[in-house]
Amino acid sequence: MTSAGTPPTIPARMTRRLAPQAGELIDRDRQIVFSWDGDRYPAYQGDTIISALAACGQRVFSRSFKYHRPRGLLTANFNDPGCLVQVDGEPNVRAAHRRVEPGMHVRSQNVWPSLQHDLGAVNQAISRLLPAGFYYKTFMAPRALWPVYQRVFRRFAPGGRVPRGAAEGYYDKRYAHPDVLVAGGGPAGMAAAAAAATAGARVLLVEEEYELGGHLRWGDAAQLARLAELRTAVAAAPSIEVLANAAVIGRYDDNWVAVAQRDLPHARERLIKARASVLVVAPGLIERPYVFAGNDKPGVMLSTAVRRLINLYAVRPGERAVVLTANAEGDRAIADLERAGVQLAAVVDARQGEDVVAARGGGLLREVELAGGRVVEADLLVTAVGWTAPTALLNMAGVRPAYDPRAGRFFPRDLPDDLLAAGGIAGDGTLDQIVDHARAVGREAARRARARGGRSAPPNPLPALPIDTALSLFRSSTHGIVDYSEDVSSKDVVGAVREGFDSIELAKRFTTATMGPAQGKLELVNTVAVHAEATGRDIAGTGTTTWRPPYAPVSLGALAGRSFQPVAYSSLQPWHARQGAKPLVAGQWIRPDHYGDPAAEVRNVRENVGIIDVTPLGKFELQGPDVARLLNYLYVNKWMKLAVGSVRYGVMCGRDGVVLDDGVTGRLADDRYIMTTTSSGPETVWRWIENVLQTEHPQWRIHVTPRTSALASINVAGPKARTLLQRLVEGIDLDPEAFPYMRVRSGAVAGIPGCFMWRIGFTGELSYEIHAPAAYGLQLWETLLATGADLGVAPFGIEAQRIMRLEKGHFIVGQDTDGLTQAYAAGVGALVKLDKEDFVGKPELVWAAQRGDQQILVGLQPADGSIVPDEGCQLVEGERAIVGRITSSRLSPTLGRSICLGFVEPRLAAAGTMVEVRLVDGRRLPVRVMEHHAHYDPEGLRLRV
Amino acid sequence: MARLLARSPITPPPPLVVAEGWEVSGRRSGAALRLSDCTPLAKLLVRGDEQGRFRARFGIGVGAARLLSPDLLVIGWGPGEWTLLGPPGAEERLASVAALDRDDGGGEFLSATEVTHGHALMRLAGTAAAALLAKICAIDLGDDVTPNGAAFRSSVAKLVTEVVRHDRDGEPAYWLQCDRAFGQYLFDAVLDAGAEFGIEVDGFRPPWI
Amino acid sequence: MLLIPCVHCGPRNVSEFAYADAVLPAPDPNAAPPSVWRRYLYMRTNPAGWTSEWWYHQSGCRRYFMVERDTRTNEIRAAALPPRPADRGAP
Repeated sequence: MTSAGTPPTIPARMTRRLAPQAGELIDRDRQIVFSWDGDRYPAYQGDTIISALAACGQRVFSRSFKYHRPRGLLTANFNDPGCLVQVDGEPNVRAAHRRVEPGMHVRSQNVWPSLQHDLGAVNQAISRLLPAGFYYKTFMAPRALWPVYQRVFRRFAPGGRVPRGAAEGYYDKRYAHPDVLVAGGGPAGMAAAAAAATAGARVLLVEEEYELGGHLRWGDAAQLARLAELRTAVAAAPSIEVLANAAVIGRYDDNWVAVAQRDLPHARERLIKARASVLVVAPGLIERPYVFAGNDKPGVMLSTAVRRLINLYAVRPGERAVVLTANAEGDRAIADLERAGVQLAAVVDARQGEDVVAARGGGLLREVELAGGRVVEADLLVTAVGWTAPTALLNMAGVRPAYDPRAGRFFPRDLPDDLLAAGGIAGDGTLDQIVDHARAVGREAARRARARGGRSAPPNPLPALPIDTALSLFRSSTHGIVDYSEDVSSKDVVGAVREGFDSIELAKRFTTATMGPAQGKLELVNTVAVHAEATGRDIAGTGTTTWRPPYAPVSLGALAGRSFQPVAYSSLQPWHARQGAKPLVAGQWIRPDHYGDPAAEVRNVRENVGIIDVTPLGKFELQGPDVARLLNYLYVNKWMKLAVGSVRYGVMCGRDGVVLDDGVTGRLADDRYIMTTTSSGPETVWRWIENVLQTEHPQWRIHVTPRTSALASINVAGPKARTLLQRLVEGIDLDPEAFPYMRVRSGAVAGIPGCFMWRIGFTGELSYEIHAPAAYGLQLWETLLATGADLGVAPFGIEAQRIMRLEKGHFIVGQDTDGLTQAYAAGVGALVKLDKEDFVGKPELVWAAQRGDQQILVGLQPADGSIVPDEGCQLVEGERAIVGRITSSRLSPTLGRSICLGFVEPRLAAAGTMVEVRLVDGRRLPVRVMEHHAHYDPEGLRLRV
Repeated sequence: MARLLARSPITPPPPLVVAEGWEVSGRRSGAALRLSDCTPLAKLLVRGDEQGRFRARFGIGVGAARLLSPDLLVIGWGPGEWTLLGPPGAEERLASVAALDRDDGGGEFLSATEVTHGHALMRLAGTAAAALLAKICAIDLGDDVTPNGAAFRSSVAKLVTEVVRHDRDGEPAYWLQCDRAFGQYLFDAVLDAGAEFGIEVDGFRPPWI
Repeated sequence: MLLIPCVHCGPRNVSEFAYADAVLPAPDPNAAPPSVWRRYLYMRTNPAGWTSEWWYHQSGCRRYFMVERDTRTNEIRAAALPPRPADRGAP
């Protein structure tokens, strides 16, 4: 720190740093150090990486994409195509925008082995051999060599090094609901935002730079005073939220606007999804480069770049300058250069018909050739030839901007009511005119937003801005770079037209012009102009390529970083996890696959008693007088006579007769049923039931309540299940006469009131499925284990259950059926009651029954029971014919052999038929078609005891 | 038989205490933004015609909430459905509040279903509560759109969640209710989104509503 | 992201909804020949212009409603609930 009033001494290394400027952004009291390609450099707080390096006399910051030409400053802002660098682990940083931080390690990109000595520059010497389309044409064949080509090209390809690990830091997202979103924080954006806020609107003001102000920031004293006024007006409005260092990257349906906000205290980047009632587009204008030989040499800059360097960063952009000016901005740049002590070697006034023909020099700019042949020595060539209107957000809203040849740029037309434009994109005029217009736009935006999106209120007409005539200067008499990012020259564009690419959209794809990091902001209009010149059309007739989101780069972290994926846990999952159960991801649920040895778990259920957490089983409570009608309509079987206390299995089909879901439903009371679905099915089934109730049968009086996670569901299975439960139930008679198979009873279990249980047999053993209020699930589970210790009770997981259900031949919807499996093919034809008046899928099932030609699900056993065919293996006949497939396959610990379910053609479905399965290794294995789906206890004696 | 102990799907941060038969966190926080697991509150879902007798009794429709008594909140999260929230163990009291003569409605079909165990319920309180929710919920939480007493069902952190704004003593607060199985997920998602605001877990304690 | 004007909840992001189907009259399932039934099941016209659609507000009120939408502009002209029982006659 130094005492107030005495400017600190400028470090010696900052050879091009100027004395303090009125609008400078640097803090001379805070000097910091960073490194560039391994060397230490000083900077001031507020410097961009490039302004700091330029202050120290650096002029080359990267090598170009294709020809590896040295590149320096062009625009001195975010869009600068030659200023992409690597910052620590982060590639492709916009170094003319990113501010220096202490200790930053900055490296040049796209160089090999170094920025000063780059081998790729040999491409430059042979550039006429590398026209557009060179890679497509030359390396297309032989195809086998493409991987080799790729490895070699990678060395020369642009871009930094992406770190191997995940990106560090927090990436955030949030929603916003502004009445008015103003894209662009220059004078027009600030005025529009303040006016909208005064009119009562909530405003989101988005500015790409670190501070509001746009071009006023590098203006004269009067402009700086206006800037201060406008900033004060914005700051005074509490309903304006300003997002600086943020870019509107896209506009989608119904003004859904994506904003990327960078470098927050708590997050690297934040994606803001804003629903704006009205969007005000005020991006300003982008200065357009001029096309001539050597126009990408370090030292050739835009007038706005020069003004930024001098006024914002106090950097002298060169020592001896030639200025090509066609407008007032160029004239102001001349004044700035003189003030900065730059020697003016020549002023080339395009308005007087003067022109620049070529920039020359070995690496850096050394001399400029003017029209007429005069050659001027210079290290700086400044061009001010005109402006591009960044109409991207308008185009994304479906607007087709119109080209005005007198002004040499595109203007908005036919804007929808929820879209307004302000500032340079809308027209020209004095600062007062632009600010007044923007205020009117802001007020009107607020008015339309109040009328909810502007649809219902007739829009008021807005005043128009004047439009100045301007020279249409795009290309000199020589050829030069059109697209700096992609190294596309005007000659390439002309060549593309000669090859037949006379549509601008095709020429873009062939040359890749506008497809690089600049995304059209600098090169679009020049590309169009050169293309128009080559085809003999005008610019309006050529049209432009399409602006698409994202308008500005956004990190993958911001797009994907914090993505949400809901996870469901049963009340018992923490217990399973504590016991070391292997977790199984089943849809949204995490479930226990097994607790170590699934075969042992099977044996324990078959011999003693096991308990399994089946909470994820879909469950619905159906209440009302018409529930039986609904069930009768949804399921293929009959439901009108299900008695209170009974349970029935049902199969549900879609309208196409394809099996949709299955499960048991129990009637707990007259007008109260519990329906179960597959674990993966509840959401689909619920949506389907609501569809039926709301659109087909709204007269049915039924309320549906999801119960899946409200009930902790535990299946107690095994020959000792009754013995165990007898110790725990209250108010339920477990005697098989009083509580037989396929019945449901309510009462208390383990002291927990409000439970019900039903006898069903997925595992094939005597089993009771208990449904208890979920908050008591863990207590019930632990009580079962403690109470049945002497009976050998043990938990079993999904894998043991899958084995046992296969032993019993129960199919699983989605595993043993697919999107084409109708009810008959699933082998449940006996359930289908075609004599019901109507049920979902009936027509298709009637026809399927008549045809009888579908592959059918059967039990299968390999002749060699030690081989377990993989699920999905095909059943084959002869060399080529596929006659079926295996859908489920396991080694049965109970039977000591492999068992399967699978589809076969109907002619092969008779019990005892031998078919062949083709294993993954190509071997053929004979398998026998079984009489039943069930391999174990097909009569179901064990589960009825 | 051991005493019954009810558990929330959200693992309570220590210290553990038992309140009203539920194992809950006894943690106390005075942070400016707090999240409390309130799953033990009694919950009743009642349904009838959108403009029917429940509507007349409760005086609200979809999108609103009001206190029926100092400790009893009725919320209209969906058309023709109302959720009653009350103190832990108050299920029967809620049922009596919702009791209507089923045969007196000229064919209106009414139901009342206890859903205490079906949902996870949490309360987010603090001045930054809306700013936090704006990170995970696409609904406009501004005072003019979602004032105190506003209720909606939408997606929060990609999960179907029921939200009601219910300020207490001038401090903005929201109840968030979701399917029980997703309770831990939602709780964690809210805590993660709240880190930048210094959110802390506060235990379960009165006042209940 | 498109806004869908839910009849109950007002405009909400389309991500809260599930598109169900085109609004189509169903043929009599007990009388329609296979050709007619399958045209109803599978054939959709996909017009460039106005369509009538069923949408389901999955993350909101869980109600089905009909929407008229222009597929070219995504403009939505009307949203309506399904006809009530009284409108359809006796069960």
